[in-house]
Amino acid sequence: MTEKKRMTALRLHKALYPIWRNDPGWKGVLTTVNNNTIGNMFILGATGMFLAGGILAMLIRAQLASPRSAFMGPEIYNQIFTMHGTIMMFLFAIPFFEALTVFLLPGMLGTRDLAFPRLSSYGFWCYMIGSTIMIVALVAGVAPDGGWFMYPPLSSSAYSSGINTDIWLLGISFIEISAIGAAVEVVVTVLRYRAVGMSLDKLPIFAWYMLVVAVMILTAFPPMILGSLILELERAFDMPFFQAEHGGDSLLWQHLFWLFGHPEVYIIFLPAAGVISMVLPVMARTTLLGYGWVVAAAISLAVLSFGLWVHHMFTTGIPHMGLAFFSAVSTLVAVPTGVQIFAWIGTLWKGRPEMHLPMLWILGFFVTFVMGGLTGVMVAMVPFDWQAHDSYFVVAHLHYVLIGGYVFPMIAGIYYWMPVLTGRKRFFRMGETAFWLVMVGFHGTFLLLHWAGLLGMRRRIDTVEAGSGWESINLLASISGFVLAIGFGLVILDVAVNAFVAVRGPRNPWKAGTLEWATPIPGPSYNVASIPVISSRYPLHDNPDLPVQIARGEGFLAWPDRNRRETLAVSISRGEPEFISVFPKNTIVPFVMAVVTSVMFMAPVFKWYWLMFIAAAGVTVLALVWAWANGSRRDEGLLDAGRGVSLPPHTEVAYKPGWWGSLFLLLADSVLFGSLLFGYAFLWTVAPNWPPPRILQPGILGPVLALAGVALASSGIRLGDRAIREDGAPWRGLLASLAGLAALGAAAATVFAGTTYNAHAYDATLWVIAGYVIFHAGLAGLMVLFLLCRIGTGYVSARRFGDARVVRLWIDYAVLTAALGLGAAWLPGVLP
Amino acid sequence: MTDILRISVPITVWIAAFSAVYGLEGVICSDLWRGAGLSLGQGRGALVATWVAAIALQVALLVALRSRRFASPHPWVQRLATILGCVALVATVWSLMPVATTSLCL
Repeated sequence: MTEKKRMTALRLHKALYPIWRNDPGWKGVLTTVNNNTIGNMFILGATGMFLAGGILAMLIRAQLASPRSAFMGPEIYNQIFTMHGTIMMFLFAIPFFEALTVFLLPGMLGTRDLAFPRLSSYGFWCYMIGSTIMIVALVAGVAPDGGWFMYPPLSSSAYSSGINTDIWLLGISFIEISAIGAAVEVVVTVLRYRAVGMSLDKLPIFAWYMLVVAVMILTAFPPMILGSLILELERAFDMPFFQAEHGGDSLLWQHLFWLFGHPEVYIIFLPAAGVISMVLPVMARTTLLGYGWVVAAAISLAVLSFGLWVHHMFTTGIPHMGLAFFSAVSTLVAVPTGVQIFAWIGTLWKGRPEMHLPMLWILGFFVTFVMGGLTGVMVAMVPFDWQAHDSYFVVAHLHYVLIGGYVFPMIAGIYYWMPVLTGRKRFFRMGETAFWLVMVGFHGTFLLLHWAGLLGMRRRIDTVEAGSGWESINLLASISGFVLAIGFGLVILDVAVNAFVAVRGPRNPWKAGTLEWATPIPGPSYNVASIPVISSRYPLHDNPDLPVQIARGEGFLAWPDRNRRETLAVSISRGEPEFISVFPKNTIVPFVMAVVTSVMFMAPVFKWYWLMFIAAAGVTVLALVWAWANGSRRDEGLLDAGRGVSLPPHTEVAYKPGWWGSLFLLLADSVLFGSLLFGYAFLWTVAPNWPPPRILQPGILGPVLALAGVALASSGIRLGDRAIREDGAPWRGLLASLAGLAALGAAAATVFAGTTYNAHAYDATLWVIAGYVIFHAGLAGLMVLFLLCRIGTGYVSARRFGDARVVRLWIDYAVLTAALGLGAAWLPGVLP
Repeated sequence: MTDILRISVPITVWIAAFSAVYGLEGVICSDLWRGAGLSLGQGRGALVATWVAAIALQVALLVALRSRRFASPHPWVQRLATILGCVALVATVWSLMPVATTSLCL
């Protein structure tokens, strides 16, 4: 860079830095909404959880190393293996890739932050507080102890009477706010916040993978959230969803759990595949072979994974035809996996591979994951699964897939992106030693445990009997397990030492072609000094001068004349500039809201329902404060975006970022509602003791209120929306909409009057459906009141009508689900 | 957004058809089916008809995604949508084949 160019870049940095920086000191930790800071804290938190889960794994191996070990009793052992699975799946695997995504995605896409920075902060704090609660429960001896999939009736109050199970059900649901929030952010960011010219075919492959994964999170997590909610309702209020004697069925839990649980495996694998697809071509000095095929394979894998859940239930007595459906899909899913593997092998073939440390871990992935995939095809075969089910063969298989298919590629990713994360060049060389220790330790542990499983060793047993034939296998597996732990410990030590002590490194040491390498390292808080214009998937290969051009402000939105955090939103397909998005400042609201949310979730554990309602009110107030800070009280018109282009601010477009966020949040909500209707239908058709002794009769009042509510709510918001756009008076339309929502709530309340919540699973299900309708009608009503206040205070005008569109979306959803839910509740009563 | 729909609709239709057929099998094997005076043979017929309809729908989607009216203007998206349409068609044929080849309620 010449001196003149350097001066321009420095001046631009000095202009941007005060606008985007965190607050100083510890206050900055709590108020930051910056993706780099939150991503770093998230990575540290998830690594801490990996250590905690690893320590528990070593306790398990210590217990099983010798026959009839007195190391710990069954009560403690049950908590240890439950928490090991829970921590690794919920508190490490998902948060770790989310953390990496929060950190890397904006830079990779050439934008300044994720779509909803405050949501990043809220999600992170929910995760940290929830994880801390789980660890405190473990230390206090009241940790969950029913296995990481919490099957009733074991987890029902009759057999698990303490608070252990409640902590799991409510704690994990709370932590999942973080996953859902991150998923909404990722989808909107990938679709709308990118470099100019980054059309769908030019997205970095990691962004494609994360888009797919985020949609999977939005569609896979809700069934389990519903399951957790209704199991907690059963435990707290005796609503018999899973009690056969009252029309419930414990298999309903298995369906809801595995509707989440199997896609979850691919939710964990696909980000790792995304990392491999980014790292491997760079290590091979080439580009990814078959980009389009890899995208197609990732999408196929994601959707096919939703047709696999029953393969965890092959031994539950489901008819053969049902088993055959899921066995067929279980074999089919190997095809897109194979496409990706062959694309990676082809990439190696066409390039000139170099053996750096990330490459070593990827080779470790290939060996281990292919073996795990093959045992996966074995357990997809129904007769084999009947023999191996709930044995250590399955334990070994899932560790091959999860450690080989997820942890190894993630370590490759951490070493690959270490310069971006830390700004340093790897100097200390413990990584290679650690790799070999992990490989020897891992295969020494889990290859042997396949054998123990085939010899009949059941999972979750707290002791090995002398003379069972499993003793020496377990001893060797335990020794190898400790070697594995030492290896992982060395990896963490190596990364930490290099991150804090190693020398500063150059930008883009790997000569990669994607945009995360175009910024100074570690990345500044604004990520890119100007939004770049690109024309290929590897913009740094096309234009090695691009980092300098970005730093000098030759892209969009360079000079921050308006003195606020701005970035560019682009069209979904072509990546053309559409509007200027204004981001919020640093704020403590997300942190406070996470604390209050944790109270709302944890109060029911101790039956403090009064506190839960107070906290819910607190969350509502904070959400209103959050939403109020958005927007503007004046029309700005078209603004200069740089490069001779003028664009409107996000407050003056019909479908602003909040609308897109709401759309994808409602996708998750609709899956939860669909799961509720599925549960209702499942109980009707499969559960014992049906039909229920008393069927709800709809009568006249309920349906009349519902019809009036549907008509008023949906037409009222449309009238209000039109009046706002035409500078008219929206009051009448919005008040009509409010009245309609009240009528819908009243219609749902008639269901309560005709049923007894704990009499039968039928009644309990109708109470949940009615509660769902009332909650959504109430939420939409609150939004209408909020909109009225916004209109009254000048935040809404004929040009700034985006708020009304968001409210309209929520009202339409409330109306649709009310019609479907109440229709399903009343239908049996009107059938002959 | 239209391009996202072109990419996602066929494979989403597959999971909807798959869930519908699995649900229908559950209904056919329940007391509700017998209570309505229907036989297992009729149940098998309903399942096969649903399978054939799902295949026909996938073929129609594939043709539509290649047609001038519905195809994406972007060649890359058009190709991706076609590949995923083929995946959805194969998945429909393969995953629902048991309706014609396996015992029904055993």
